[in-house]
Amino acid sequence: MRSQMISTLLRARPVLRATPALTRPSSTAHQETFESFTERYVSFFQQAQDLFEVQRGLNNCFAHDLVPAPAVIESALRAARRVNDYSTAVRIFEGVREKVENKNQYEAYLEELKPVREELGIETKEELFSS
Amino acid sequence: MRPVALRIARRTFATAVHPHPVASSSSAASAIPLSNVEAQWEKLASDEQLAVHQQLEELQKKDWKTLSLAEKKAAYYVAFGPHGPRTPINPPGTSTKVILGVLGLIGAAGATYAGMRSLAAPPPKTLTREWEEAANERAKELKLNPITGVSSEGYTGKGFVQSK
Repeated sequence: MRSQMISTLLRARPVLRATPALTRPSSTAHQETFESFTERYVSFFQQAQDLFEVQRGLNNCFAHDLVPAPAVIESALRAARRVNDYSTAVRIFEGVREKVENKNQYEAYLEELKPVREELGIETKEELFSS
Repeated sequence: MRPVALRIARRTFATAVHPHPVASSSSAASAIPLSNVEAQWEKLASDEQLAVHQQLEELQKKDWKTLSLAEKKAAYYVAFGPHGPRTPINPPGTSTKVILGVLGLIGAAGATYAGMRSLAAPPPKTLTREWEEAANERAKELKLNPITGVSSEGYTGKGFVQSK
């Protein structure tokens, strides 16, 4: 483990030296695009192995000033299925409903994710508690 | 690394309960009906809650399409229902109570005002238009305030008249 770490560090060093010495920290330099955000979280949820990881990822993902793309929601739902937590799957839709601007957008999300919801058997909170 | 994360993942039910009554909880698992878990959740003892948690954990491993609505509701309620840290600060019906209380207090204040007015002595006899006009006459007779006031030339003010 340790020797591996040292070797990776050593391998990383020339790359570090190659970066220009005079770079200024800039607030605009590392702005992530929506596409790369989506890609990052899709792969995160695909790799998440336990409930804590999934819920941590959801917290982070829903903390941004954007509504996660349906692809992210879908992979989060599949992650919830993988860790066998139905309540988290329901909670994801609650999160989407909080993040969208109006009812129509929420309906659009529900419509878009209908195949996954039917495949996994996920009801929304409204569907669960309306009857 | 992995065992630690797993332990944290189970924090929702590891915080309140002690892990000792495993034998008793498995026997209690069948005793608690999931259909009514929302109503009695607050009253359940911590080992019973643990039993429900374990029961639900097993249930959620099955295909979710085979779960009944009651089981789904119970799973959601136990994980994210309004209990523990998610208890609402104001129980339902609080705003109605506040509105009714404020309206009641305003009504009580109005009733007190009306009661005081009805019990008070009548206004003094000098506070009538007739008396005030007579006071104006008397002021002119005595030439009160002759430069700018009531008995000055071309006076247009009301003098002592204040009643409508």
